[in-house]
Amino acid sequence: MSTNTSYVPGLEGIVASQTAISMVDGANGRLVYQGYVIADLAEEMSFEEVAFLLWEGRLPTRAELEALSLELAANRSLTQAANITLDALPSDTDPMDVLRSVVSVQGVEHRLAKPTVPLAIHAAASFPTILAMFHRRQLGLEPIQPRRDLGHAANYLYMLNGKESSPEIVRALNTYLVLLADHGMNASTFAARVIASTESDLISALVGAIGALKGPAHGGAPAAVIEQLELIGTADKAEQWMRDARKRKVKFMGFGHRIYRVYDPRAKILKEMCRRMNPKFYDLATRVEEVALQILHEEHPERPQSTNVEFYSAGVLQAIGLPREFFTPTFAVSRVAGWSAHVLEQSANNRIIRPQSEYVGPELRKPAPLAERG
Amino acid sequence: MAEFSPGLEGVVAAETAVSEVDGANGRLIYRGGYLIEDLVPVATYEEVAYLLWHGELPTQKELEALRRQMAAARKLNASARGTLAAMDSQTDPMDVLRTVVSAQGAAKALAKPALEEAIALTAIFPTILGATWRRRQGRDAVEPRDDLSHAANVLWLMEGKEPEADKVHLVDTYLVLLADHGLNASTFAARVVASTGSDLTSCVVGAIAALKGPAHGGATLAARNMLDKIGSADNAEKWLTEAHARHDRFSGFGHRVYRTYDPRAKILREMAKTAAPDLYKTAARTEEVALKILHEAHPERPNATNVDFWASVVLTGAGIPKELFTTLFATSRVSGWTAHVLESLSDLRIIRPASRWIGPQPGKKPLQLAKR
Repeated sequence: MSTNTSYVPGLEGIVASQTAISMVDGANGRLVYQGYVIADLAEEMSFEEVAFLLWEGRLPTRAELEALSLELAANRSLTQAANITLDALPSDTDPMDVLRSVVSVQGVEHRLAKPTVPLAIHAAASFPTILAMFHRRQLGLEPIQPRRDLGHAANYLYMLNGKESSPEIVRALNTYLVLLADHGMNASTFAARVIASTESDLISALVGAIGALKGPAHGGAPAAVIEQLELIGTADKAEQWMRDARKRKVKFMGFGHRIYRVYDPRAKILKEMCRRMNPKFYDLATRVEEVALQILHEEHPERPQSTNVEFYSAGVLQAIGLPREFFTPTFAVSRVAGWSAHVLEQSANNRIIRPQSEYVGPELRKPAPLAERG
Repeated sequence: MAEFSPGLEGVVAAETAVSEVDGANGRLIYRGGYLIEDLVPVATYEEVAYLLWHGELPTQKELEALRRQMAAARKLNASARGTLAAMDSQTDPMDVLRTVVSAQGAAKALAKPALEEAIALTAIFPTILGATWRRRQGRDAVEPRDDLSHAANVLWLMEGKEPEADKVHLVDTYLVLLADHGLNASTFAARVVASTGSDLTSCVVGAIAALKGPAHGGATLAARNMLDKIGSADNAEKWLTEAHARHDRFSGFGHRVYRTYDPRAKILREMAKTAAPDLYKTAARTEEVALKILHEAHPERPNATNVDFWASVVLTGAGIPKELFTTLFATSRVSGWTAHVLESLSDLRIIRPASRWIGPQPGKKPLQLAKR
């Protein structure tokens, strides 16, 4: 037994798993899926191809891609139990809580099943339907049934809006889904692997991951980027607002990452997409970014305070027309591919993840019976 | 980069005052510095939950206040009721629990985990457990009772009749014994979820998901299934010898942390004698033979009986159907999970470890679809 006796908060720098799914090369600002650099995949591949890559370790042939697309399309409908649950939740529920609950009910079973690729496909297929159905209900609109002839991104938008989106919008969502599909041992992926390590089922691992992604320190912040930009208002007010905000200890949304020491490669691609698709956002955001990086550098010159993926994600998702409370759930629509790939990898070569803790409580003492406790 | 320790074995992932597993000496210490064997005779589950949350045992007045709070929080809300009714009655009880807790805790806006919520979540578990069981039997749910303790409600909500005092005592002691256990996998899952700033329900749902695994909470059922297959004390030696020859694992033996007899198993073993005398005989003989076989195979390993082995006997004696073993484990551990989450808030830092790359060299160029 190897023992790392010193406590490292947040397990920073501690190797918790071996993986061949994705690598975050923070020093060089590279994100690699199964050997491919993200920039080579982002605008070339469909989400379906990348999901296949993460699950199977290689890009699909045309026949394999067709089979996967058919399997996804055939599993987009919700079970009756999921539909009832969806209706039982109040329409002002946080969409992440809806996703957590309905993914859980959609995946219930009589007996424990081992995680498999088909189960991963079924789960991934259901996420857009759950979110779109709930969104339609929030608006008091009839649900739109999924369409089998549309790709993953196109069908999600179709179910949300009740009409097909332009190829440019579909392409943008697809690129977003490709970019966010996996990212090393992030907290939600790690949660999924911890759950899978007890030999629990795939849905359990995904439900846990959704719960982790919800946190504002992880996936829960892109909407906050938009909110902060709205408070700032215009590019010429950025410096004044941000310097004042800093005096009040306000955190700048969309900056800082534990791993990258240089510009996040996903942020770079998303930034360029914002320039094309969301010029109003882009003008304000680039100025805010400039000022934020300057202020952060003045405060901590030693820290590589880089723009993170959430900052420009917000502009892309806004241009796609997603309501901001669906930004984090749409992150989950993408990341479910990576989560399930990690669960499959964990379960193929498993050892229960059960770290140690260091006791910091009082010395041993004897408990008094209730009657003697004051 | 740091060394890779599979399963994070031996890696310290948190500082905690909620509990300490002293594996070398076979001691389990609950918050406040109390040994588990000292708490069992003097504290009920409600008192232990209070201890895990607050760090002190409650006074009479504090205990009464907690009981009132729990009694007021035992009913399912409309979302949870609708969700429960939506599921097939034969659904895995842990899937029911995971889903109904998620629905019960579905909220409008993100809330920081709080003690009131921990109490309410803990209070709801027996209600879900009881309703799950009655649905499996094709019977209507009964309403939780304000005048009964937590353990008594477990039995009442399952059976719908006045629970017997000795069975309540067995369930209560089991709940006390299992309420926390250091950084086990489900507790660690809860802390990972909490580390992102997520809500308490999300943490508990993640923990339920982890507890479901046969390598964790599912082990009690596995131990009982093994005892069922062995059938009688006379058959133990033959069955175990054959199973060992097939390289089957013995359920209910081995633990990563304890190097000596698990102190909880010791207490449960003693209780098992009177709780389920017939099953006790089979189990005692099974333990004797299993330890001998394991010792002969691996003299270097401290292959001690774990808590699941004797819990399966005691719970059988308490009248808990084996399909509900893991759910009852969750019903106990939820106080520990929530105590850990609340503790972690004081110094929240995202748990985001590193990984070691074992994939292909980065930089290969993807082929266009037509060329694959």
